Amino acid sequence: MKKIACLVVVVFAFAMMFSTSAFSARKTIIRIGINAPMTGDIPKVGEGSKYAAMLWLEDIEKAGGLEVGGKKYEVDLVIEDNESKAESAVKANTKMITQDDVLAIIGPQSSKQAIPAGEVANKYKTVMISPWSTNPSTTLDRPYVFRGCFLDPFQGPVVANFITDEFGFSKAAVLYDVASDYPKGLAEVFKEAWEKKHGAGSIVAYQSFTTKDTDFSSQLTKIVKSGAEVLFTPQYYNEVPLIVRQAKDLGWKGPIVGSDSWGSAETVELCGESCYGLFFSTHYAAAGAKGATKEFIERYKANYGYVPDDVAALTWDALHLAQQAIQDAGKITGKIETDRTAVRNALAKIKNFAGITGNMTFTEEGDPIKCAVIVKINDKGEYEFYKSSCP
Amino acid sequence: METARKFIKTFSNVPMLGWLIGFFAAVLIEYYWGYDYISYYLGLPKIPVLFGALIMLKEPIMIPGAIAYDLIVYVIPILFIAKVSIFFTNRVAAVLEKTPLWMSAIIHLAFFYGVLHLWAGINDYRVLIVKLTLISIILTISINVINGYQGEFSCSHPGFMAIGAYISSILTLYFFVNDKTFGTAVLSSELGPWLFPIALIAGGVAASLGSLLVAIPSFRTRGDYLAIISLAFMFIVKSAVENLNVIGGARGMGGQPDYAPLPIIFIWTILCIWVVHNFVTSIMGKALNAVRDDEAASESMTVKTRKTKMTAFMFGAFWAGIAGGLFAHVLAYINPGMFSINRLAEILAMVYFGGLNSIIGSIVGAISINVLGEALRPLELFKWIIIPLILILVMIFRPYGLISFKEINAKKLLRSKHKREQGA
Repeated sequence: MKKIACLVVVVFAFAMMFSTSAFSARKTIIRIGINAPMTGDIPKVGEGSKYAAMLWLEDIEKAGGLEVGGKKYEVDLVIEDNESKAESAVKANTKMITQDDVLAIIGPQSSKQAIPAGEVANKYKTVMISPWSTNPSTTLDRPYVFRGCFLDPFQGPVVANFITDEFGFSKAAVLYDVASDYPKGLAEVFKEAWEKKHGAGSIVAYQSFTTKDTDFSSQLTKIVKSGAEVLFTPQYYNEVPLIVRQAKDLGWKGPIVGSDSWGSAETVELCGESCYGLFFSTHYAAAGAKGATKEFIERYKANYGYVPDDVAALTWDALHLAQQAIQDAGKITGKIETDRTAVRNALAKIKNFAGITGNMTFTEEGDPIKCAVIVKINDKGEYEFYKSSCP
Repeated sequence: METARKFIKTFSNVPMLGWLIGFFAAVLIEYYWGYDYISYYLGLPKIPVLFGALIMLKEPIMIPGAIAYDLIVYVIPILFIAKVSIFFTNRVAAVLEKTPLWMSAIIHLAFFYGVLHLWAGINDYRVLIVKLTLISIILTISINVINGYQGEFSCSHPGFMAIGAYISSILTLYFFVNDKTFGTAVLSSELGPWLFPIALIAGGVAASLGSLLVAIPSFRTRGDYLAIISLAFMFIVKSAVENLNVIGGARGMGGQPDYAPLPIIFIWTILCIWVVHNFVTSIMGKALNAVRDDEAASESMTVKTRKTKMTAFMFGAFWAGIAGGLFAHVLAYINPGMFSINRLAEILAMVYFGGLNSIIGSIVGAISINVLGEALRPLELFKWIIIPLILILVMIFRPYGLISFKEINAKKLLRSKHKREQGA
């Protein structure tokens, strides 16, 4: 018994000796949470979010902290992995809010995590900005949840109008993943918009597959035979190259058009020349960008070796929105609940925020009104600005 | 070695009640002094949520502080109070021993719950982890009935869980909530928490009816072939839900009311442990083992193998459905993608890690995998290397899991440790 008591005391004393931060007063630190899929199905998205956040933090640190109400505060990022799973995103949000005392949360990126995570953020009255989630339910009836991108009901008609104006086609085919929330929703919106323009039956093929399918030949054969002039496929970077190549092998001659989920840097890398000359709608165009956008792209490329995709750009904007809201809130009281509400109110009031993905003003629901961009994959495999479409 | 043995011997006369009181004291210390004094002087930003595991992995400089915190708040008070209180606790335990076992068990459980509630209540993140862990315990025990006691390799558990989750969500959303999918509430929302058990049981019953789709083919096939059938069942459920736009399809279903607070989930978990324990120790439960070990022999010994298999599947699926219903109401959002191959891997990992044919093994498995998954969170990608590695090691050194083929002996667990010492 004596030995044990001695051992405990020694271990404790030893531990305290090395604890440099012992007996130090607690500082008021502004913590921003990042809820991103670092592992799981779409790790590239998580990586983009993390890198953009690190660039932002670098800027803040260079300025010696974030100035709020004439006082500079230290800023800390809390990056949590949501494993691309809903319950993990909920856990991560709960942890960041109750344990790390974050002032605002950026993320999660995909709607299937952003919807349940938004519920948590709203319950604890903490601002959450999802940079990339396009599902209307994410922000619906949740005063504390915002987003940094346009919604599916806006993007669908943009694509439909673009195809009609650009090519003058009237028969379209759609190929989408029925098991995934985002492609399915967008396919429906596009179909509705297209049929409104060209009459019922103008979608000559409406084909679906299931997540993780890699062979699309039966659906594509039907599409080729249906006499469609254009193929719309709102898929992610891991499926687009397969779809495009298989379609070309099966004799598809027309254009293939996509949506903002194509925007990852990986799409062209995996797809190669088959994707050159295709169009998709997205949040921003990297090639030929100007001003702050160009600056961001160049910095990102210099640091991490590749051109940032739309997730990184939207995360960057979301962080700046949070920063602006914190500064607009006027002061940090140190009482986290009060500060969170103040930040929320400031964020809702932001007008004409000049982001690198366009100007933003929030609606009542916390959705921004902003322009969509049509991007062409040029002969060098870059995403080149082609056209912009505003609400 | 000698010191360790002495150390263990010193505490061998502490009854379960003593440990509970020690834990209670530790929680009180954390509750009153944890934030303002102990973690403050140790330089920790807040009370370490999972015994400091998260903060240790994120900022190695905090390791000494977190270890010191654990010692001051948990280890020393628990050991000290448990040892000091034996005069009192052994007497109380002796008195409780004379009462019926169920009464003694209920008193212990109530006390345990009180302490757990207080511990979790310090931080809402803890509450969420405890809730999800309890749900995992129900899931693991329920799959153990099929994969452990009955010996079939069933992969359809996420499917059963999905049925339970969707049916109970539909019921609560339809009756008690004004929402977009089903319009205005039919009944007053005040009735909701009281009628919630009925919705849960309905989910469980639906899951057990669904399980017949797997149970009936199991009359003629076993082993790998049944595994494939059950896997197919899981995909059928997932695809069916994805294509049913009435209940949200792939977009999922959200807005479930918060009817599953910690005490409710705790009660369901205890109920599950108790019912499954009674089931597997009954004649029917022994029949499960007989069918597993030799189907032909047990048939010739008058065991109705078909009835046995159906019961095992329906019983396991029922509890999986309950777990699914609770899960849906904790997260307040479900989508079919949640009940897929990833979930299956998680459930199988829990049951094989903990141990087949054992309730206590299932509890250990569910708690270890859940707590490990949370504690190693800061490691991101490496978490998915470390956990499978631990699983492989367990499978090499203990092929049937950590604690397999063992049952809880409540009486032995709760008895007073006083008499033995005096040689009475």
